[in-house]
Amino acid sequence: MASLAITLGSGAMTNCISDFMNGESDVIFMIGSNPDTSHPITGLRIRQAIKKGAKLIVADPRRTDFAKQANLWINHQPGTDVALINGMSHIVLKEDLWDKEYVKERTENMEELEIVLEKYTPEYVSEITGVPVDALYEAARLYASPGKKSAIVYGMGIAHWAAGTDNVKAISNLALLCGKIGVRGGGINPLRGQNNVQGACDMGALFNTLPGYAGLTRDDIFDKYEKMWGVKMPRKQGKPATEVWDNILDGNIRGIYVFGEDPVLADPNAGHAVAAIDKLDFMVVQDIFLTDTAKKADVVLPAACFAEKDGTFTCSERRVQRIRKAFDPPGEAKADWEIFCALSAKMGYEMHYDSASDIFDEVCSLTPQYAGMSYERIDEKGLQWPVPTKDHPGTPVLHVGQFARGKALFMPTDYEPPKEQPDDDYPMLLTTGRDVEHYNFGSMTRRTPCIEKIRSEALADVHPVDAERLGISERSWIRIKSRRGEVKVRATISDRVQVGTIFMPYHYAEVPINNLTLNHLDKLSRSPQYKACAIKVEVLG
Amino acid sequence: MSQIAITIDGREISVAPRTTVLEAAKLLNIEIPTFCFVKGKSKAHCKICLVEVEGKDKPLRSCVTLVRAGMVIHTDTENVRNQRKKNLEILAESHFGDCKAPCNMTCPGQINIQGFVAHVRKGEHEEALRLVMERNPLPFSVGRVCPRFCEVSCRRSLIDEPIAVNHLERFVADWCMDHRAEGNLRIECKPATGKKVAIIGGGPSGLSTAFFLRKAGHEVTIFEGGDKLGGALRYGLPEYRIPRKVLDYEIKTILDLGIASECGQKWGRDFSISDLKKKGYDAIVLAIGALKAKPIDIPGIDLPFVHPAIDFLKDVTDGKKEFPGKRAIVIGGSNIAIETARSLIRMGVGEVTVVHSSSSEKIQAHKHSHKEALREGITFMSMATPMQIIERGGTLFMRIQRMATGEQAQSGKSHQGPTAGLNESLQADVILYSGGQEAAIEVFPANSLERKLVLTPTGLIKTHGKGQKTDLEGVWATGDVISGPRSVIEAVVSGRRVAKYVHAEICGVKKEPAESMFNFTRGNTFKDVDPVLLEGYAAQKRETMPSLEMEERLVCFDEVRKGFNLKRATREAGRCLSCGCTAFDRCDLRRYSVSHGVDLKTTGMGTRHQYSIDASHPLFEMDLNKCIFCQRCKNNCEYDALELACEGTDAQGRAVGLSFSFNDKCVNCCNCVDSCTTGALTKKDVLVPIINEPVRYVTTTCPYCGSGCQMQLKIKGHTIMEVVADKSAPPNYGMLCIKGRFAFDFIKHPDRLTKPLVRKNGQLVESSWDDALSLVAKRFGELKTKHGSDSIAGFSCARATNEENFLMQKFMRAVVGTNNIDHCARL
Repeated sequence: MASLAITLGSGAMTNCISDFMNGESDVIFMIGSNPDTSHPITGLRIRQAIKKGAKLIVADPRRTDFAKQANLWINHQPGTDVALINGMSHIVLKEDLWDKEYVKERTENMEELEIVLEKYTPEYVSEITGVPVDALYEAARLYASPGKKSAIVYGMGIAHWAAGTDNVKAISNLALLCGKIGVRGGGINPLRGQNNVQGACDMGALFNTLPGYAGLTRDDIFDKYEKMWGVKMPRKQGKPATEVWDNILDGNIRGIYVFGEDPVLADPNAGHAVAAIDKLDFMVVQDIFLTDTAKKADVVLPAACFAEKDGTFTCSERRVQRIRKAFDPPGEAKADWEIFCALSAKMGYEMHYDSASDIFDEVCSLTPQYAGMSYERIDEKGLQWPVPTKDHPGTPVLHVGQFARGKALFMPTDYEPPKEQPDDDYPMLLTTGRDVEHYNFGSMTRRTPCIEKIRSEALADVHPVDAERLGISERSWIRIKSRRGEVKVRATISDRVQVGTIFMPYHYAEVPINNLTLNHLDKLSRSPQYKACAIKVEVLG
Repeated sequence: MSQIAITIDGREISVAPRTTVLEAAKLLNIEIPTFCFVKGKSKAHCKICLVEVEGKDKPLRSCVTLVRAGMVIHTDTENVRNQRKKNLEILAESHFGDCKAPCNMTCPGQINIQGFVAHVRKGEHEEALRLVMERNPLPFSVGRVCPRFCEVSCRRSLIDEPIAVNHLERFVADWCMDHRAEGNLRIECKPATGKKVAIIGGGPSGLSTAFFLRKAGHEVTIFEGGDKLGGALRYGLPEYRIPRKVLDYEIKTILDLGIASECGQKWGRDFSISDLKKKGYDAIVLAIGALKAKPIDIPGIDLPFVHPAIDFLKDVTDGKKEFPGKRAIVIGGSNIAIETARSLIRMGVGEVTVVHSSSSEKIQAHKHSHKEALREGITFMSMATPMQIIERGGTLFMRIQRMATGEQAQSGKSHQGPTAGLNESLQADVILYSGGQEAAIEVFPANSLERKLVLTPTGLIKTHGKGQKTDLEGVWATGDVISGPRSVIEAVVSGRRVAKYVHAEICGVKKEPAESMFNFTRGNTFKDVDPVLLEGYAAQKRETMPSLEMEERLVCFDEVRKGFNLKRATREAGRCLSCGCTAFDRCDLRRYSVSHGVDLKTTGMGTRHQYSIDASHPLFEMDLNKCIFCQRCKNNCEYDALELACEGTDAQGRAVGLSFSFNDKCVNCCNCVDSCTTGALTKKDVLVPIINEPVRYVTTTCPYCGSGCQMQLKIKGHTIMEVVADKSAPPNYGMLCIKGRFAFDFIKHPDRLTKPLVRKNGQLVESSWDDALSLVAKRFGELKTKHGSDSIAGFSCARATNEENFLMQKFMRAVVGTNNIDHCARL
C-alpha cells in the first residue's frame, strides 16, 4: 500500500472484482497470489474471466491450480519478483510495446526508469529467476498487448517480503509503462490479506498518517482535527508495529495496547516479540479469545465479534460495506468501539457516540475519500471510495483520466536478493501461505468442527524429487529448522512446489512457523519477510 | 437497444430484447415457480414455470419464452395453476422423505422436537429451550409430567428404544435455570399494540395465554384467586413431581416478558367481568381450570374422614406434611388420585390402596406415574367400584364390587357388569376420592354479566367452535375449564390457540392460518417404515433417568427424578435419527405443493427407499430419494465438481436411475446445497429444522478475506443457524467459500472471553469493567507522566471495523498523545 501511494497517489486496488466476472479484462497477470485459497470468491471471478476468454499469466513459484490452467506459467525462484518484472519491462521497452502517449501525458520520471531497466536483459533475468528467456518474452508481450486491457493481480506473495515495496514499485512501473491503469478491466489489484486491511489503513491506524492518508505534515489538516477533537495532536511520526519490539527492548516503549492482534503467535521471529513483551511495564489486550499474547497481558478486555456489533468494513476493491449486529456478545463482552469510549472517558476525554453510525459520520467528516457516505447510502450495496460528495455514485475504477497524485511517478527499483538465501547449512527454502479452509492463525476457523474435519493439521508440501532424495514419504514426520527455530510437521508429497522449496501454511498454532521466519523489515512499509527463509530438513519417520 | 413493452398480470414493463418471461416477471417481483432454472444452463425440463400468453392455446414455459412486443402474460390463471399442480403431483409421487419428524407430528403442542434435540446435541441449550418455548412456555413442568405422546411415535423404537424426549425437554429447561439464574431467557415480544388483556386464572392455560399474548405485543394482567400463580401445576402436582423452586422459576421466565399478575384476586369475590371491562380491558380470557371436586354419589361419602382428593392435595402442596392415620383408601384412577396416594405414602401412611374401576392397563392416570406408584408400594385394586362407606368405632369400611376381567379386556368399559361373589370390604382411617373435577364458578347476582355465561352439563364453560369464545362479548375461555382435566401440554395448546384468536379479534386482523397439514412421510406408522431405513445404526440404549432411592423417596417430598446431566443429555440427543427434513424451510417442492393445493393423500407420495444416502462428502449428504432431478445443484456449481445423472425417464417423464457424485474439483463451498430445491442435499452441520418458526436474516459482510462477500446470517434467537447468500447481491452474487458458509462456530465457542481479566499475584482473574478500565487508565496515565506519551504504543486490528480502527487511532493520538499506532497488515 505504501508504494502505490507514492507512485499513483493511492495505495488501493485500482479496479473492482466484478470487472473479471463481466469479462472486462483481456489479460490477467497474477503474481504472488493464489486466490483459490486466499480469496476464493475473487478467484472464482478470475475463473469466470478465463471462461469468458481472458488470457492468464501466472507468476508463482508454486504450481497452483491457476498455474495449471494459465496460458503461461512462470515459476520463478521465490523472492526474485523485482528481477522478473523489471525484465518484462525491459522487453516491453526494447520491443516497443509501451504506450508512448500514455507515458508522455500521464507519467513522470520515465528517463530514470529507462536507465535502471537497461541491465535487466532477458538473459540476466533468466539467470536470476530461473525462467527461460522465451517465457520472459512471452509474458512481456502478452501483458503489454497494445490496445488490450490487462489487469495485474497480486497478493501477500508480493507484499510479505523484505523487498515487498520494491516488488510493488516494479509492478507499478510495468503497468504504467504499458498504459494499463485507469481503465476498466486493467489496473493494479492488490488482494488484501484480511477483511479490513484497506479500512484500517483508510482510518489512519498507521504510524505515519492521519485518516485518509493525510500524512502528518499538513497544518491545515491538523487544525481541523484539533478543532474538532479539542486537543493538541502529536505530529512526530510514530513507531511502526514491527519496530515496537526493538523499542521496548531499548526502553523507549514501556506500555502497549494490543487491539485484536496476537503478535506472540503471528509475529515473524516470535521469540523476539516474547522477549520484548516480558520487558514491558504494562500491556492491555483487547480480543475475543485469550490469545497467546493476552495470556501475557496485565489487563484483558473482552470484545464482541463481527456478528455482535454494527460497523463497516472496506474490502479490497475499496467498497465500504455494512456489518450488522445479529445478537448480543457473550457475557459482559462489549463492542470494541464501546470499550474505546469507556476507556477514553476514564482517562478524562469523553467521546460522545451513541452508535457506530455516529462514529462513521465523524469519519466521513474528516476523511475526504469517505466524505459523501453515510450508513443510509451504503446500506444496500456499499460504495467504492472515493465518494467525495453526497450525490457521488462511488468510484469503480481509480485514476481514470488523472492520477490521484496528478501524474504517476515511475519509481525505478533494483533487484536485491531475498534476505536469506539457501546455503550449505540451510540448503532449502521455506515459503508460506494459506489453506482455503483456514484463515490467518486459525483462532476462528479452527474452532469450527466441520472445517477441522476437512483439514485439521498443517502439512508441508515437499516436491517428489526432494522427497526421494531425503527419504520422505507421504504423511511422514519431518523437522524443519531455520537459524531462528524449528518445527515438527508432517509432509505431503506435491509437485505444486519447486525442487528445493518447502511450502507450509501458517494457520496452525501447533506448528508455529513464524518461529522460523525472519524479522527483516521492508525499508519503506516496515513489513516483515514472512514469505521465505532458508531451512534444513530432518526426517523423523 | 430498444426496449420491449409487455404486460404481466396486468402490469406493464419494458425489458431488453432476449429477456425471458421468467426474468421479466422477476423484475416486477412476480414469482413464477420453477425448479430447474439456472440462467444459461437449464434445459427447461421441470415444466413448472408455465404461464399463459394471450393468443396461445397452451401454457408456455416462461424460462424459455422470450418476450415479444405487446405480449400479454398471465402467471396465475386457474389453467396454469392446474397444469402446474399436475406436474407437481407427478414429482411428488416419487419424492420419498419426511417433512416433519413423526415425533413432531404426534406432539399435541407441535413442538419442534427434532430441532430442540439437535440443539442439545450441538450444546446450544438456551436456544433449545427458546425453541421449545416457541410453542410451549411451560417446559419445566411439561418436561416433568408430560404423557409423552411424541415418544410413542419415535422411529428409534424400531432399532432399540425411543428418544427420551421428555427428559431432554426437562434437561434444557433445568440447564437454563442453572445457568441463567436471573431468569432472562431473552425471548422477544412484538412492539406494543396498546391493547390490554385480562386473564382470569394463573394455571397452565392462563400462563400460556398470557405468554403468547404478551409476545404478540399486548399488555397482559393475570388475576389469580390463590396466593401464587401455577394453578394445577402448584396444587395438583406435589413437590416430588415439580419442585416449587422449579415452578417458581418457570413462572418467573414467563412474567419476565413483562406480564403483570395480581394474586389473591378471586373472580366473583373480589371483582367481576364488568369491573374488568370498566378498567378498559380489550379482552378477557377465563382460565380458571377445573379444580373443584365432583361429588361421588355413594352412601357415606359425607362422613367425617372422607374428603375430596383434590382438597387434600392442595393442603399437601400448601405445606401440610402430616396425616392422622395408618391406612388410607383413594378412590379413582385419575392423576389426582395417584398423586394423592403417592403423597400419603410419603406422609408415613403404611397402607394405601387405590380403588379404580378400569383395568390396570387402562388406568386413566399417566402410565409413568402408575408405575412409580406401584414401585413405591401402593396397592391398586382395579376393576372395582365403591358401593358404600360406613364408619364403625372410628374405622371406615368401604364395600366394593369387582368386575370380571376377561370381559373387560375384550370389550371395554361399557360392557362392564357386576360379578357375583366378588364383593369385598376394605378398612381405612381415611378415604379420599377423586371422581372428576369441574369448574369452580361462583354464583353470581342476577343482574351480573356472568349470568350470561352458558355452562355445559358437566359443569364446564361452553365455548363456540375453535375460537373458544364464550357467550359473553369480549370474553374467551381456555384450558381445563372448557375441556375438563387434561394434560398440561393440552392446556398449553388451548392457551396458544385462544391467544391467536384474541389477538386477531382485538387487532382487527385476520387470524394467521393454521399450519398446513401437508406432509411427506416415510411411514405414518411403524409398519409402513421400510426396514432399509433403519440399517446401519448401531443399537444404543436409551439413557436412564437417575432417580431417588426408594428408602429416600418414601420419607420426603424431594423430586424423585433427578434429571439428566450434560453428558447423559448429549449422548441421548445423539441417538436422534433426525427423521424430519432439515431443508423444511427452504424446500420449493413443499412450498409450491402447498401453494398449488397438492393433496398427497389423493395423489400419493414416494414409498420406496431406492437409493442409499451418500454421506461421503465431509460437509453435505445427498439423499437421492428426495431428488426431483431439477439439476440446479449441478448447474449452479461454478467448479464443475458435481455429476448428477439419470439412466432414463419413466412413462410420466420423471428421471429414474439417478446417480450422484462429486470430483476433486470440489472446493467444499456447498453452493450446491443452497441451490437444492428439496432436501436432497443437506449440510451435515445444519441439524435443526426450521418448522414455521420465525427466523431473522441479518445481512452482513464476511469477516475473512478482503473480497467483501455479502452474506446473510440466518438467526434464530441468538444463534446462527446457517449462513447463506443473496443471489442478487454484489460482489459475490450468492457465492461463498467454505469459510464464509461454515467457519462461525468460533462465535459461541466456550473459549470466548466474557469478562475483563486483571493480573493479580501473577494470575489473570475476572474483574469488573470499572476496575479493569480504571487500572488501564491509571497505568497509561503514569507512563505518560513519567516517560512521555511516546512510551506507549498501540496495535490496531485489520479485522475490526472502520469505526473501531478510527477510534483506536483517535484514542492513541488524542488521548494518549502519540503516533505510535499501527497494524500488522499494512502493505
